[in-house]
This record gives sequence, C-alpha cells and structure tokens, in this order.
Amino acid sequence: MLRRIVKLSVRNNNCVIRNCSQFCENINKNTSLQSTNYIQTVENSLHESNNSVLEPLNEDISHVSTYLKPTFNFAAYINKSETLQELLKLGVHLYKLEKNEEIVQFILGLKFENIKDHILFLNDLGIETEKIGEYLTKNPLILKEDVENLKIRINYLKYKKFTDDMILRIVQANCFWLTHSTQQIDEHLGFLQNHFGLSGNEVRLIATKSPKLITYPISKVKLNTFVLKEEMGFTQEELKKIILHKPSILMKGQHRILQAFEYLHRSMNIPLERIVEEPEILTCRKKRLMERHLFLVKLGRDQFDPKKPNYVALTTLVSETDSYFSTEIAKSSIQAYNAYLKSL
Amino acid sequence: MLIRDAETIWNTLKGIICVYKPAEVSVQKLRTIIINKICTELNETEVRPPIDYVAIEGDPMKSLSVSVRPNYADHPLVVGPRYQEEDLPLSWSNNLGWNTTGVLIFGLRSGTRSAKFIRENRPTRAYRIKGVLGEATENGLKGGKVVEKSTWRHVKQFNMDRLLSAMQASHQKKMFEMCGVDMQSQLGYELAIKGLIRPLDGKIPVVYGLKCIEFDGPNFTIEIQCVNEYETYLTSLIHEIGLKLHSTAHCTAIQCIRHSYFTLEHALLMKHWNLQNIITNLEQCNKILSENENLVKQESVALI
Repeated sequence: MLRRIVKLSVRNNNCVIRNCSQFCENINKNTSLQSTNYIQTVENSLHESNNSVLEPLNEDISHVSTYLKPTFNFAAYINKSETLQELLKLGVHLYKLEKNEEIVQFILGLKFENIKDHILFLNDLGIETEKIGEYLTKNPLILKEDVENLKIRINYLKYKKFTDDMILRIVQANCFWLTHSTQQIDEHLGFLQNHFGLSGNEVRLIATKSPKLITYPISKVKLNTFVLKEEMGFTQEELKKIILHKPSILMKGQHRILQAFEYLHRSMNIPLERIVEEPEILTCRKKRLMERHLFLVKLGRDQFDPKKPNYVALTTLVSETDSYFSTEIAKSSIQAYNAYLKSL
Repeated sequence: MLIRDAETIWNTLKGIICVYKPAEVSVQKLRTIIINKICTELNETEVRPPIDYVAIEGDPMKSLSVSVRPNYADHPLVVGPRYQEEDLPLSWSNNLGWNTTGVLIFGLRSGTRSAKFIRENRPTRAYRIKGVLGEATENGLKGGKVVEKSTWRHVKQFNMDRLLSAMQASHQKKMFEMCGVDMQSQLGYELAIKGLIRPLDGKIPVVYGLKCIEFDGPNFTIEIQCVNEYETYLTSLIHEIGLKLHSTAHCTAIQCIRHSYFTLEHALLMKHWNLQNIITNLEQCNKILSENENLVKQESVALI
C-alpha cells in the first residue's frame, strides 16, 4: 500500500497542486471559511493598534488554516466539499476515478448545481437511482457534456424509431454511448448496415442486443469480420446470421475466437453449418471446450450429430455448470470430472 | 462460511496453499487471480466500519463544541476497499513453466518465508510426462512445428526401459561427482552410505528416478523424480530419449504430480478457488508443514 501511495503521490504531485488551488478557490466561494481575507484582517489589526508582532494577539484566528497539502485521493477533500458528498451519496466509486488525473481535476472543480441537471436527466431516462452512481463511476465525463446535447442524442435515437425500453437498455449497457456525438453514432450504425447488409429493424436489434458494438472501433470490427469470413470461411449470409444471433462476437479477441473455432472444427469435427446455428459456442474459451470435450471422448459420449441418438447439444455442452455437465450430459459424477481435470 | 468477520479471516490467512496449475497460464497470472479472489471475497464480508469524525469547533477564546459526525474520508467508496490487492503478499515456491500443469505451492503472508525455505531446500518433484515417438517438433512440445519425422515401430517397451535405467544410473553417478568429494576417499564413502544426496548448486538438474509407466503404440508416459529441473530441460530430455531410441519424440503433456509432500490430492482446482476452500487448504498444508519440519529447516544433505 505504502509503495502505491508513494508512486501515486509522485505521479500526481503536479496535478494535485493545481487541483488544490482550484479546489480551494471553489471552497472559498462556497463556504464561510473566508481564509483569503485573513491576511487583510491581520494587517488591518496591526495598523490599528500599532502593536509589535511580539505582543500576544487577542483576536480569534482559529479559522485560518493552511491550504490542503498535495494529496493523492479525494479523501482529503470530501469532508469539506458538498459536491463530493453528494456524489458519494449517489454511490459513485470515487476511488476508481482517482486513476485518471484529468478526471480528478474536473470533479474537484465541479459544483453540485451544475451536475444536478445531468443526474435528473439520467433519472428521467429510467435509470434507477442506485444505478446512477455506477453509471457515473464508469463514465464521469458525461458531466462535462451539455444536457441539451444529451437530449439531442436521445432525440436522434427516438427519430431512428428506437423505443423507450430500447433506449434505456442502450444507455445502461453502454455508459459511453451518450458521450458520442450523433454524427459518430450515425456513422457507426450506417457502417454496420452497409457492411453486413442489414435492414433497419436488424440494425436496431443489434444495437439493443449489444450496444457496446456500436461505439466499438470500426477497425476492430473489420478485423473480426476478416477472421470470420476469410480465416474461418463463413459466407456473407452465414456471417449475417451469426451477427444477428450473437453480435458480441465482433468484439471478442481475434485469436480467441479463432482458437475456439479451430478446436471446434478440427478436433471436434463440427461442420460450419452447425456453428452458424449456435454461434455462441465461438465465444466460449478454448480451454473449457477442450476440458469438456476430452472428458466426453474418454467416456465415449462425444456425439455431436443431432440425427443420431445420445446427441450432445453444443450450447448445453459449454453453458451449464460443471456439476450439471458431469451428471446430466456426461452421465458421470462431479468427483470423476474433478479427478479427470487433475489428470490433464 | 461461518465466520463473517473480515479481520479474523485475514488473521488466519497465513501459511502455504497448494493449487493445481492448468496449462497455458503463467504462474504470475495465477498469483494475480488468487489475490483478486481473496481480496474481493474479504471485502464482501463484514469489514471495518468507517471511523467517526470528531470535529472540535467554535471560538478557542470562549468555549469549544465537540461533535461526532460520520467521516466521509474513511468511506470504502472514497478510500477504496478495505483489503487491497497490494496488501496481500503471495509468492510461489516452485515455478512451473507455461505448458506444465500440476502441483504448485504458494506462500501467503508470513507463509512466503516457508515458501522460500521450501524452494531453497530443493525437495524432489515428481513429473508425469507424456510423449509421442516418431515426430520431432521445433520446441519439443505438441504445439510446435514438426521438423522431423521418423519410424518408431522398432521401439519396444524393453528398449525404453533399458535406456531409462541407463540414464538414471548415469545421473546418480553425476550426483556424487557434483558434491565435490573424491569418490575414492573415506569421505566419499561416508557420503555414499547415506543414500541419495541433493546437489549444492541450485541450477543443475539432477534426476533420481526415471521410469516408463505406460507404453502404447507411439505414445508413452514417463515418471521422473528430480530436483532443479525446468520445463525446457524436461522437453529436451524427451527429445534425447527419442534420439537414443533411434527415432524422434516430443512431449504432449508435462504434469507435476508431487512436490515434496504435496500431491495431486492436496491441489486445489482453479474453479474451486474461493475464500472458504483456500482457508481449508491452508490449514491442511500447514498441518503437513508442521508434521515435516525438514521441509522448512534442512540439516542433512541426504534426500528426503
């Protein structure tokens, strides 16, 4: 812990000093500390009485204190700052915001009146009060945006025939959606529509199913499309089917899905057509797939053809818990499965 | 879990744990996973509540008022969770390679000392290595590019056994040479009657036992007892065995089945890593440690 403090304080030193002065200005404006008037009052009293500095002073100067020393977190400020206290009451994880110096500076300079509108706006969208803290933890920079701009962005979605439930889902699942301008969002939605040949309803379906995909870098989406199309050999129609079923596949690491695919296709001999039907299998970790498949092979139950008896569905193979898998699918026991895992 | 008090749980987290390392994960990664698991679960239990803020206000010339109010500066949302990842020391006593699976020992908090002593004592480890005859790969493992193919049908179980016992004998000879004593002297004799001895140097691998436990077609399984070994050494050993049998070979699996007194049955699978299981495992391992003092404090060169 100590090491971390030293590291942080060294790194944050410059930024914090700036914060400090900024924050103190803020406090002086808001509260009754009046510490800036201190020098003046002292000087005045000296002039009036013409006392020597060595004489004892009868006046109360206990409200005078030094500026806050450079600090590495919000804890030093929070007992004096109302804004931070309000954010805490909302449930914002303030310690998580400390990682980014710019955000620390920004939050310390805030007044609660300025961010009230943002919080009311989020509440009006239908986000529960407990979730707002979580939202602000993930994306504190939304407080920087103008509320009018945010309303325009919501209106854009309504214009594009997204229902209120869909909008709520989008905003909640992707905290960064609202920080993107309408032009950017429009560009990304248009890209998806053209790249995969989707209809309006299908675009809306994808945007609601996986809102993070819309703000995901286009270059990475293109890369994963290349992996699916050229390296795995899916056709354009199959690709569209996969994406409509499991859009988040485009956000997975390229090597990860390729590894899972290679294991499925080469070791388990699953044809492409079966994978298109159950594309969530591609998002499964190769290790998990391998452990379960090898266990079934050992028991002689690796039958993945739906036309034959004792067929094992691909999704149930990976989605259930280990105890369900070992008793229901492999018809063995969890102890046997654990012992098997220790022999790998 | 019966105890909900985080401090009591934290105080019991001292000692060594024995976990099962899967393949294709580094030991460093496992360390981070365990620390994260322990810290998140500790923070979910009853942690210390924030300390109250005592405010002394008023004019010091007259009378001061003392008030106690909640201290926001000590709130877990402001200063972070009570138990942080950096606060938990965790170190391993044997480093298994990327492709190796098996028993791995971690020292938690004051147990890191025991882990260090276990490492420096050089206890023997047992490995079960699976290999395939007929193909040599670039890195000696199954994932590597195949660089050479050869016939293997002339290799029989007895060829393998003969080679392995010869290798074991030569290693045992090396073991005495490495202790730095003249083999023909009285001192050498006294050392030899103690049985197997461990090397002083922590770098040179010494094999004590080498046995083929399964031979079936091109596949074979070897069990090996050794000290100071590392992953590349074991793969090159399999490669060497392949060459000596007038064929080629590569590893398909390397599994550490025993580390001093800790065997596979003590090892905790990755999916079972939670606070409850870790504490149970900790107690079990600490018991083994207290029963076998020679693990931590070693006086004799003789092998345990």
